Amino acid sequence: MADGKILTINMGPHHPATHGVLRLVLELDGETIVKVTPHIGHLHRGIEKLAENMNYQQVIPLTDRFDYTAASLNNLGYCTAVEKLLGIEVPKRAQYIRVIMSELARIMGHHLWIGSHALDIGAMTVVFYAFRDREMIMNMVEEVSGYRLTPSYMRVGGLARDITPEFIKCLREFIKWFPTAVAGYNTLLTDNIIWRKRTMDIGVISAEEAVNYGLTGPSLRGSGVPYDLRKVKPYSSYDDFDFKVPVGAKGDVYDRYLVRMEEFIQSLNIIEQALENLPEGPVNVDNPLIFNPQIDDVQKDISALIRRFKIQCQGPVIPEGEIYHAVEGSKGELGFYLVGDGSESPYRMKVRSPCFILVSALEKLMLGHMIADAIAIIGSIDIVLGEIDR
Amino acid sequence: MVTLTIDGKEVTVPQGTTILEAARSVDIRIPTLCYHDRLNPIGSCRMCVVEIEGYTHPMAACTTPVDDGIEVVTSSERLTRIRQDSLKLILVNHPLDCPVCDKGGECLLQDLTFEFGIDQLEYQAAKVERDSQYASPLIRYWPDRCIMCLRCVTACQEIKGIGAISIAGDGYGAQVVTVDADKCQSCGECLQVCPTGALTEDLSRYKGRTWLIERVPTTCTYCGCGCQLELNVQNDRIIAVTTKDGVGINKGSLCVKGRFGYEFVNSDERLTKPLIKRDGKFEEASWDEALDLVAEKFSAIKGEYGPGAIGGLTSARCTNEENYLFQKFMRAAIGTNNVDHCARL
Ligand code: SF4
Ligand code: SF4
Ligand code: SF4
Ligand code: FES
Repeated sequence: MADGKILTINMGPHHPATHGVLRLVLELDGETIVKVTPHIGHLHRGIEKLAENMNYQQVIPLTDRFDYTAASLNNLGYCTAVEKLLGIEVPKRAQYIRVIMSELARIMGHHLWIGSHALDIGAMTVVFYAFRDREMIMNMVEEVSGYRLTPSYMRVGGLARDITPEFIKCLREFIKWFPTAVAGYNTLLTDNIIWRKRTMDIGVISAEEAVNYGLTGPSLRGSGVPYDLRKVKPYSSYDDFDFKVPVGAKGDVYDRYLVRMEEFIQSLNIIEQALENLPEGPVNVDNPLIFNPQIDDVQKDISALIRRFKIQCQGPVIPEGEIYHAVEGSKGELGFYLVGDGSESPYRMKVRSPCFILVSALEKLMLGHMIADAIAIIGSIDIVLGEIDR
Repeated sequence: MVTLTIDGKEVTVPQGTTILEAARSVDIRIPTLCYHDRLNPIGSCRMCVVEIEGYTHPMAACTTPVDDGIEVVTSSERLTRIRQDSLKLILVNHPLDCPVCDKGGECLLQDLTFEFGIDQLEYQAAKVERDSQYASPLIRYWPDRCIMCLRCVTACQEIKGIGAISIAGDGYGAQVVTVDADKCQSCGECLQVCPTGALTEDLSRYKGRTWLIERVPTTCTYCGCGCQLELNVQNDRIIAVTTKDGVGINKGSLCVKGRFGYEFVNSDERLTKPLIKRDGKFEEASWDEALDLVAEKFSAIKGEYGPGAIGGLTSARCTNEENYLFQKFMRAAIGTNNVDHCARL
């Protein structure tokens, strides 16, 4: 800079603490941050465009790759959006299983957040415990879907298949175990003096500013706004469950931390209720235009064969219309804007990515803080670049 | 002129128009199966039924002419049921062939079955194994897949004026048969209009899937008619030739050469390098070598006997541009007017 006092440094995209390929250009006055310019797009895969050339079911694996730390939530957002466009509702059992998978995904997302957030600030132990427990969920996800990170387990119209007894067994064990695990994370961090010093009064954003910036999810709730789509606009039977929406008071890094820590427990709560009240029945809608017929029928009935052929090869046809539908992702309001043109592929799919909006508030959060706090702040808004860049 | 209403829309069309045509003129879609734009209405499938105010029975839109003041309804629960029933009857003895059927993916029967949400047949018929001979070895007839729509027979009669095929038998035993194999020109008109996989092109059998191929529109190179066709390309190989109805001078028709004569394109026997005869034997050479040799020989002949000793014959299978260049070369480079063309022969 001209006066020689401002130092411009480049952070990322290959920086372990930017949570992906985020690049920040930081301008420093001594150690104080005076300007932050995020550069995004390093992970752009053109997913929204790709979707225009695929049928509606084929888009599901693409959605896994938004916020891949909590992929089932993206599946849920997408599938429920298409279903809304179609005007169908999946059976109760499918809705409950979707809730279980989504909340497991939320826990997985938070695991990655707590692990790396603590690691970034210098507390190494947490990541090992977080990943130990995350592994349990991964195994369960693998059990039902065949994949660990990117399950693509949901379908427009239901689920790929029903859950297995083995899954239920593992889930019961997990429910029993997990409160102890969360207590363990708390012991490591919540009252830890270094942790508190590094996070309290850092990256403060008031409720009003947070709303104005368009923040959602735990980052908004950390500032005390109890906005959670599961409560505000329930979908997939979320109104059947009893759970609390934790909020912070001040809106600093520590508050956002507390909110997510409580969400671990609330998600577990929801999972437990869903599992105990899991209705019997099919997991897919009975609609000849959307869902595959039974394989036995396909082998003896030409109309079922044709149906399967069309659904597999061409994909279900979605009527003309547009829809915006959002779910509470692990990072915030994950919205899908879909335009159907009466064909088997979306005419347009636009994703409202919570992380994209979170990243726009980075400068507001960082200004005036020390360079070392930048890391704590990035971790506290829990961004994932797969979703920002898409 | 006659004025009627279709689904509440007022339509004015000339006397003699069918209800189907009247509906299409105002973008109202009536599902059809046996109806084909290039053929006179056949009226065999009952998919196009519509209700007319005051008539107890639904009427086939493709065969019923308009009348002044009638009120037509093109979709209702009753009509959907009738259409579904017609489809179910067609499907009763249809084989489970879609996975191996060349038409799978662009089959009108599949489309309608799917559209009308038919997911279970309440009745089944005993399967009869049938063997069949078709008029031409280039076309394969699958009697089990045939839905007896009569498009093929009508096309052979009306478009080609040949009448090589007809329907024989009745009930489930009915099938398309050859009445005069000698008359058949293997033009594939029947193939083109068949809405299902009952008539398939035998050279391309099992080679590709409609959603995997790319259809490249081009002009037939066989003769000066210049028919429009589409090369069906999969993995850089032509696996079939199709046409679009109503496109080009041929409007969807082709002759046997245009429709079936494509295998030479990827033939292993095609020359890919120039050959030069040395000591009575052909040897592979580079283009530079070959062109040098030809130029040298041309110059020698021209030098010894004059340009009039050289003549050029070009081909109707070349494009206009190529033919233009050829004559230009003969006149300007060689200096002779001895240029001719096979189409004059
Ligand atoms: S004709 Fe159509 S419905 Fe019949 S087997 Fe072929 S693709 Fe399937
Ligand atoms: S062969 Fe094809 S066009 Fe001919 S009657 Fe059968 S289905 Fe119709
Ligand atoms: S399809 Fe037959 S008539 Fe048409 S251009 Fe080719 S050779 Fe000529
Ligand atoms: S289209 Fe009218 S009867 Fe077949």
